[in-house]
Amino acid sequence: MKKMSYVNYLIATVLVLIFLIPVIYIISSSFKPIGELFSPSPTFFPQTFTLDNYTEALSRGNFGRYIFNSFLVAISSTIIAILINTMSGYALAKFRFKGDNIIMLVILSTIMLPLEVIMVPIFSVLRFFGLYNSLWALIIPPAATPTGIFLMRQYLLTIPDEIIQSARIDGASEWRIFRSIILPNAKPAIATLAIFSFMWRWNDYVWPLIAISSPKKYTLQLAIANFTGEFGADYSSILAMSAISMIPMLIVFIIFQRQFVQGTVESGMKG
Amino acid sequence: MKKVLLLLVVAMAVFTLASCKEDAKTLQMLWWSDGTEGDVMQTLLDDYLEETGVTIEMVPVAYNDYEARLATMISGGEAPALARVTEGHLNNFKANILSLDDVYTTSGFTNLFYNADGDVISLPMDITANGMYVNTTLLDKYEVNYPELGDPVWTWAQFETEMSKLEGKDDVAAPGVFDHQGHRNMTLFYQNGVKIWETPYTVSNLKSAAAQEVLTTIKGWYEDGFLAPDTYSLKNSANLFKTGLYGFHLSGNWNVSGYATGITTFDWAVVPMPYFTNRATILGGKSLAAFADTGLEKEAKAFIAWMAEGTQHDTYTGGVPYLTPRLGATVDYGDFADQYAVFLDEIAATNEMYVQDWLNEVMIPGMYPLINQLFEDNANPAGQLTSLQLLTALETDLKAVAPTS
Repeated sequence: MKKMSYVNYLIATVLVLIFLIPVIYIISSSFKPIGELFSPSPTFFPQTFTLDNYTEALSRGNFGRYIFNSFLVAISSTIIAILINTMSGYALAKFRFKGDNIIMLVILSTIMLPLEVIMVPIFSVLRFFGLYNSLWALIIPPAATPTGIFLMRQYLLTIPDEIIQSARIDGASEWRIFRSIILPNAKPAIATLAIFSFMWRWNDYVWPLIAISSPKKYTLQLAIANFTGEFGADYSSILAMSAISMIPMLIVFIIFQRQFVQGTVESGMKG
Repeated sequence: MKKVLLLLVVAMAVFTLASCKEDAKTLQMLWWSDGTEGDVMQTLLDDYLEETGVTIEMVPVAYNDYEARLATMISGGEAPALARVTEGHLNNFKANILSLDDVYTTSGFTNLFYNADGDVISLPMDITANGMYVNTTLLDKYEVNYPELGDPVWTWAQFETEMSKLEGKDDVAAPGVFDHQGHRNMTLFYQNGVKIWETPYTVSNLKSAAAQEVLTTIKGWYEDGFLAPDTYSLKNSANLFKTGLYGFHLSGNWNVSGYATGITTFDWAVVPMPYFTNRATILGGKSLAAFADTGLEKEAKAFIAWMAEGTQHDTYTGGVPYLTPRLGATVDYGDFADQYAVFLDEIAATNEMYVQDWLNEVMIPGMYPLINQLFEDNANPAGQLTSLQLLTALETDLKAVAPTS
């Protein structure tokens, strides 16, 4: 038993290193001068430590604004996503109606559609509603996701039906049941969805590229991409801003880490 | 918890709705920068606002996504009023770009582009020219001889002999590096007397012995390690040159300002490019175009007319700095005067027939990826195709996409 445990730890350590080393290399390289970055004999850690990449990157463009926009979009979209996906997942998990399985299949099948295929019709809808070049264009369309609905449905299937039936017998309305029973019991799955949603919106690039035209509404990822010109890329600035862009995700994950693991595990227990 | 949620939702609505306000008369100008172009243009936009009260908002977009962004904006009915464009963009969006025949005096400019009706469709903003950068610190250390402006210009054979002195040195990764783009490598075709199109686009000289000689020479340089093997894996030769481990870099004038600020560990200079049978460079350049169906066509044309005036145009080309397409203009290149003198000399030494030949070449939509691939395949050490086979394939591909009228 003890031997298996050591083996598990070894495997886990190797996997952690495989995933972490590129991230650490990005952060470490963000402190290197350009000469070291492209040296034919690259080093993992900087030989000459410099903050110039950060000062240069932050002096170009209004990065405070871009970070604020990214936070606004990510947080707003996450809140809406939690509400919509939880309600959808609850309906599909706990209510039986004609066509419920077909609806679930249709929702899941939309995962196969790449953004590029549905980009133009969504763009047309946004223009119709006057949302083009508005941050709402980044918040509303991605709020309901098939992955989020599936995650919530799978988790909510684990909540015993008896609890809900008891509440109905006691006279609770469906909204009351959703608010007082479903939401509190779904905290681990909600935390998981919150992390995923925040990450997806924070890292979004293609959709903001299409939906936003005013630099005042640029998100951080759009701003980072502008360090690439026709004749080359300013990798020093790209690395510095990429390192900064990782910080909010790290904080969100640290806060919700326990619930994330619990939610991911329990969502997969029953299907 | 409920109150916190409610507060968050209200704050969200206030902030996002507040950010939705737009001035109805604000023009948008799509832009990308490689160096200081955006900064210099922004100062001009500020001047324009002060003079006319018209706001032009610069919308920076990464170059790799530029065409996709422009295409989506146009097809979505949200075309920008103005945009910085390459000849490729002018080709691809010709139907959506306004004629500027009545906007400025086109006879005062070179590098003009026309639509099918023969109307000028852009204001040339700058000219670029290919050229040779050298790491003078390395070259002086290893006693590599190189010409300066006014000296007899070296041939590629002399160049190879001199630069080979850098081989095997501890502080040299490879004698030099070329930009990976076909636009730079094609310069050597002209320098060996190869005009691409004898008759556009039906008869080409791509399969000539001289063209094959160029490809074979370049291939040999990669095989021998004379040219950096990392060129096509990194596709960022400027950053390689900045490391100080390479003796030369075949590129163009757009790197002058970037090198001036980005290179602090060694000295560098622009020197005359070598040649095979005749000197030549390849010109390029960017333009400003105005788009149709924006509702702001009149305002866009007014701005272009203002930019075409000498004061503003020279401020842009001198500020970046870029070579000017404005005929007869004397641009003060300031600290970069010496470097730009070499590029101007390269242009002066280029036969007009090669300039016209390249203008014919850029009219082929989708040409750049084809020539980029030619040189990448040629440099591939595992590549099995001969120079003739590569050039035959290129000729076939170019003819397939070339305009028929």
